[in-house]
Amino acid sequence: MSDIALILDAVDKIYLRRTKSPVYAVKGLNMNIQRGEIIALLGSSGCGKTSTLRMIAGFEDVTQGTITLAGRRLEQLPPAKRNVAMAFEGYSLYPPLTVRDNIAFALKSSHMQAADIDRAVREVAAMVEIEPILDRYPSSISGGQQQRASLARALVRKADLYLLDEPMGQLEPQLRAVLRGRLKSLLVERRMTSIFVTHDQTEANALADRIAVMEGGVLQQFANQKELKDRPANLFVATFIGEPPMNVFDATLDSADGLSFHITDGPQLHYGLSEISPDVRKAIGARTKVVVGVRPHSIKLGTGIHEARVVSNQWLGDQSHIALSVAGKLLVAVSHAPIAARAGEMLRYAISAAHLHIFDTDSGRALSHGSEAA
Amino acid sequence: MSQISIDQIYKSFKTEAVLKGVSLSAEQGEIVVIFGPSGTGKTVLLRIIVGMEDPDAGTVRLRGKDMTEAAPETRGIGMAFQNFALFPHMSAYDNIASALTAKHTNATEIQDRVEKIAKLLKISHVLQQTPRELSNGQKQRTALARALVGDPRILLLDDPLRNVDAKLRYEMRLELPTLLKAAGSTVLYVTQDYKEAMALGDKIAVLLDGQFVQTATPAQIYLEPATLGVARLFGDPTLNVVAATPQMQGGALSFAFGGTSVSLPLSFAHSAGKSCSIGIRPEAVMVEDHRAEGSFPVEIVAVTPLNEKTVLLLRTPDGTELLAAEPGNEETSRRHGMAYARFNRDALLLFDAASGLRIAAQQS
Repeated sequence: MSDIALILDAVDKIYLRRTKSPVYAVKGLNMNIQRGEIIALLGSSGCGKTSTLRMIAGFEDVTQGTITLAGRRLEQLPPAKRNVAMAFEGYSLYPPLTVRDNIAFALKSSHMQAADIDRAVREVAAMVEIEPILDRYPSSISGGQQQRASLARALVRKADLYLLDEPMGQLEPQLRAVLRGRLKSLLVERRMTSIFVTHDQTEANALADRIAVMEGGVLQQFANQKELKDRPANLFVATFIGEPPMNVFDATLDSADGLSFHITDGPQLHYGLSEISPDVRKAIGARTKVVVGVRPHSIKLGTGIHEARVVSNQWLGDQSHIALSVAGKLLVAVSHAPIAARAGEMLRYAISAAHLHIFDTDSGRALSHGSEAA
Repeated sequence: MSQISIDQIYKSFKTEAVLKGVSLSAEQGEIVVIFGPSGTGKTVLLRIIVGMEDPDAGTVRLRGKDMTEAAPETRGIGMAFQNFALFPHMSAYDNIASALTAKHTNATEIQDRVEKIAKLLKISHVLQQTPRELSNGQKQRTALARALVGDPRILLLDDPLRNVDAKLRYEMRLELPTLLKAAGSTVLYVTQDYKEAMALGDKIAVLLDGQFVQTATPAQIYLEPATLGVARLFGDPTLNVVAATPQMQGGALSFAFGGTSVSLPLSFAHSAGKSCSIGIRPEAVMVEDHRAEGSFPVEIVAVTPLNEKTVLLLRTPDGTELLAAEPGNEETSRRHGMAYARFNRDALLLFDAASGLRIAAQQS
């Protein structure tokens, strides 16, 4: 079923500066979003995620390219005509109105009965837990409450698209976990096409069907969380996604008697001919240098031919994070069974070929994941 | 002698009591984490210890001396905040050195100290840059360097990793204990991230409603939480809570759950007939395809990945919801549908329903 709600086609956002060279905030962005899909724009500050959201909302001009929502071209439409609901940090609540009237505002201009408006407002207020403050004014409530009121105001509307900028940034962890679940089931139940910006991958994983990872104004990968974790497109995604992220090391290759990765200033990972699939060999090609990566959860501890000094061993209740000193860096391993090693002690570890990710040294592009070519 | 010893501190703002008799001590070289949700008074407590706020009652003793009335600059405390608070017009070097120049240390010694701490915190290459040119991570390290450079015997850190990105926060979580131990300072560290608290703290003091509910090692807090409130704050996802009254029948102890009867170790025999809240951590719920001793039927309603774990939302035939967590998510190929669940009996936590206090198992 191809039911596309939003199309971004070769979208650029360029800021011209008088004395210096122009800045590409967003570069050649292409995205197709299905109706009812929940999308996360994920990246660190300055990656272009907020500029993207603001262009869709109409708060920023599109320098080049087109944005099409429900069959309508958006670039020339003023924000109010785009039929987009949003909860933005800068898009604040109306100070002279109570929280209740702020949320009801958008509904009053539609043709809803007063009783229906009242019910809709109370429902959404209950969901984000702001019922007790409905009759207060924005200036007298906390930052976290303002954020929830703003979220409620966006969600109560009927719109073609919902844009949420760090919707839970100000909330404390316990409340965030509960609201996440409720928000997700509301969006799914009502098939609300939505895009939210976040720098928190836990949030992205929990809420989104697909995640767009951005860096330097460029879309790095657009996929579901499993794909991002198992098959990261490049080194940036590999070391950005995952908690903790992937360990990566520079290595030179030696293909005598199987395949060996000589980690710079570190150990030699050797694999027999039978351990390396033909697809992986082909993907590596004639390269003599690569970057090898392994996820913390894929490292076996207490066994294997390699040994390293334990830098720290932190137990978090249901898992232990062990940092080993390897090649002048930290090799982080996670174990769900407790590991007795203490800082300063030596610990054996093993990395199987099935868990290796291999990247091109120069471009950072992924070459292979486990036994498959990228 | 404790480096820090605060006793029965009270503080109210207008009519609101923020701190209601809190006491805490930290030994030489110890990292004590003050943990609690926002608005519980963690920062107020730090401000009282450093002297920026006066307590309504109670004493602050530092290195054995009563410092409750002492001026902040005489207390010998280093401090770093979540918002960095660097001087914008000064280089990173000058920002760090500013903690020393006030003490009239001579020029070569200042340079030696700044360079040494910068090397430890991996900011040697950005010392000549101004805060505006630094990344958030570098700013945070600069602020930390400024707090550490004077070799403070006592260091207060107010959620210093809050505003740095996840990757750096994680790296700092691994490195910070080693750095702080190397500096030898006694540290009070405020955070509202339970993982950070467990990773960094020799001891964790849990502040809830203006009082320390439990002060203990990370392992004690997680495995033997003093109250249901503490148990709820540690763990992701948070633990399941079931209201039940254990019954003793034919020499076996059990409680009713999800239309079945779940057995309890006899070491909880003294809980029979009491109304309890039973806490079950998601990792103590085992989900299997086949019926086993002590298992009950469930429907798997939702499967969501959460940081290398798979979280299953389960529903029993009588409609009770329960969360289970399994390690890894590549190996799991669970689909929605019917399954059987059982509890790891040894990991069950019992709390008195009225007081919320944990009921400890009794050794027979």
